[in-house]
Amino acid sequence: MRIFVVLAASLFFAQTAFAEPVGSPIPVGIAVGQTTNVALFGEEQVNGAKVAEKMINEKGGVNGTPIKLVFQDTGGDEAGAINAFQNLISRDKVVAIIGPTLSQQAFAANPIANQAKVPVVGPSNTAKGVAQIGEYVSRISAPMTLVAPNALKRALAINPNVKNVAVVYAQDDAFNVSETGIFQEAIKDQGLNIAMVQKTSVKDTDFTTQVTAILGANVDMVVMSCLAADGGNMVKQLRQFGYEGLIVGGNGFNSPNMYPVCGKECTGVIVAQAYSPKADNAENNAFVPVFKEMFKKDPAQFSAQAYTSVKVVVDALSEVEKNSGKKVAEMDTAELRTALNAAIISSTYETPLGEIVLDADGEITQKTFYVSQIKIADDGKTGAMELLPE
Amino acid sequence: MNIVSILQNILNGLSIGSVYAIFALGYTLVFSILGIINFAHGAVFTLGAYCTYALAVGDFGLNGLLAGTSLPFSLPFPLALLGGSVMAGFVGVLVERLAFRPLRAKGADPLLALVSSLGVALILVNCLQFLVGAEIYSFPSGIFGSLPMAMIFKMDGKILAVRTVQLIILCVSLVMLLALAWFMNRTRMGKALQATAENPETASLLGINVDRYILSTFFISGALGGLAGTLIGASFGLAGPYFGVSYGLKGLAVIVLGGLGSIPGAVLGGLVIGLGEAFLPPDYSSMKEAVAFVMLFVILLARPQGLLGQQTIQKV
Repeated sequence: MRIFVVLAASLFFAQTAFAEPVGSPIPVGIAVGQTTNVALFGEEQVNGAKVAEKMINEKGGVNGTPIKLVFQDTGGDEAGAINAFQNLISRDKVVAIIGPTLSQQAFAANPIANQAKVPVVGPSNTAKGVAQIGEYVSRISAPMTLVAPNALKRALAINPNVKNVAVVYAQDDAFNVSETGIFQEAIKDQGLNIAMVQKTSVKDTDFTTQVTAILGANVDMVVMSCLAADGGNMVKQLRQFGYEGLIVGGNGFNSPNMYPVCGKECTGVIVAQAYSPKADNAENNAFVPVFKEMFKKDPAQFSAQAYTSVKVVVDALSEVEKNSGKKVAEMDTAELRTALNAAIISSTYETPLGEIVLDADGEITQKTFYVSQIKIADDGKTGAMELLPE
Repeated sequence: MNIVSILQNILNGLSIGSVYAIFALGYTLVFSILGIINFAHGAVFTLGAYCTYALAVGDFGLNGLLAGTSLPFSLPFPLALLGGSVMAGFVGVLVERLAFRPLRAKGADPLLALVSSLGVALILVNCLQFLVGAEIYSFPSGIFGSLPMAMIFKMDGKILAVRTVQLIILCVSLVMLLALAWFMNRTRMGKALQATAENPETASLLGINVDRYILSTFFISGALGGLAGTLIGASFGLAGPYFGVSYGLKGLAVIVLGGLGSIPGAVLGGLVIGLGEAFLPPDYSSMKEAVAFVMLFVILLARPQGLLGQQTIQKV
């Protein structure tokens, strides 16, 4: 009998030991690549998340309870992402994780969070199937099916005489491969001729062979699905070798990192964007000035998406408080994680990206996309993307 | 493949290959004296490029501790290249002091220095990111004065395109290689270095200050690495503090391919890998990194000592 009492008592204490309240400030995990070759993107994501934390806490956090971002570096590989996720889940006891930076990292690390029933919001994972990894996984980074045809139409408005097009894409990057498919369909739909398709690599820097082939084919438009560093180098080399036609870049070009790579040669490049700092909506008009004050530059798409992720989590936390009538800081961590995930999915959010909807799978539908043209300032280093009129 | 595109590929290959050669020479010099690989050489390459950028442009970007600051002066590119290389040389000396000397003084297994150099490399690269951020820097287009950015030659309807920076890289590399050959074979100091490499004990008995020569070797090696980093940076931009990592690995492939410790071998290895990459059809460009290692594999099967390396004789 006595043994049962001891057992029951120890079970009781074990239970209370597990039932930990969330506490204040509410910990939210940010697991992005702050080192290795993805640091370029991770840095932008960290900046965006920090702006969100500052703005949200200045407005009173979640109905008076502040939030606290817990940063964990994932590096650029899968092992780093898994490690960061595990630390955030068991050591830092975060209520949700925002990350990781790359889709292939998401496929490795998200199942761990899903198993531990911790909601994950993907700020920059665009590969097919990320939102479907599990019921605790959602993302706010949209695929680019709508914006590519728009970008082409705006380019044709600038030069209606375009006939022959060269298509370039980075074959070793999943996002760019799927984007070029959309571009190529759109080019054919516009009745244009694809004169050649050139494959590159995101690691390439020397494009002399591709550029000479394009120059030899006498095209009047080059449509590129590449990232900022490789794409910027290729634009630079195209212009240096005397190519004067139109250049249309995919969403990979939507980064201020283009400017230092191709400098003055960037001017005139048309860019398909999931986010523009010039977008005119209430959320963006509040976000951009604070970001500019903190970091002395316009926010990049990665920054805006990281900000959006934090906002999605905080909006959902408020929703949980409203529905349950309890303060989230006093709720048990495991209980809150489950309630939070239910609040994140199947909801609509006002964000700097415009209105976004997350469906029951955690998949995003984004309403507005943008098309801009790069203009480099006279110093040859700073620039801006000017929205092209509809 | 027609004659024009062959010419184009040879030009592209020689230009990039000559940089690989200079970079790999830095590895070779340290290897020939200490018998180990300096894994911090890739980090020195990166730092050299950033130092030259700082001297030539002087403006820092928007991230990191130095965000928004700028130096009160900016040097013309040739001077900045020289300054950046010298600074990289001193970084090389720093690496020797931090990673190699303490272990050598304690008589540790030389292999341990391999690990400590890897550690110093990580520290250097992370400090760099802390200072200047992970963003991309690149030299402005007017850096070479009034020279045109590129030249186009038309030959039987085909186009041969030459970027000015490719020619500059080729010329600077060739001058550097000749200067190094002269230094090693014609000067007292070069000969002393060779003697130290041959046998440090005998060299020290002959009155050569071995420690000083090891330090000089690291200086020359660092300067060569920094020069290579600048040349790559001038051509393609400085793609963040980690951009030296892949060149570091490629440099290793170059020296093993050419023959460990052989100076002409490093040059030949660099050119072979550069040409191999240039002749890879653009459709397979994502496999460029693999080219160096496939060539390495094939050549080592036939000649385990590398192209110009000497077979080591086992003494029992």
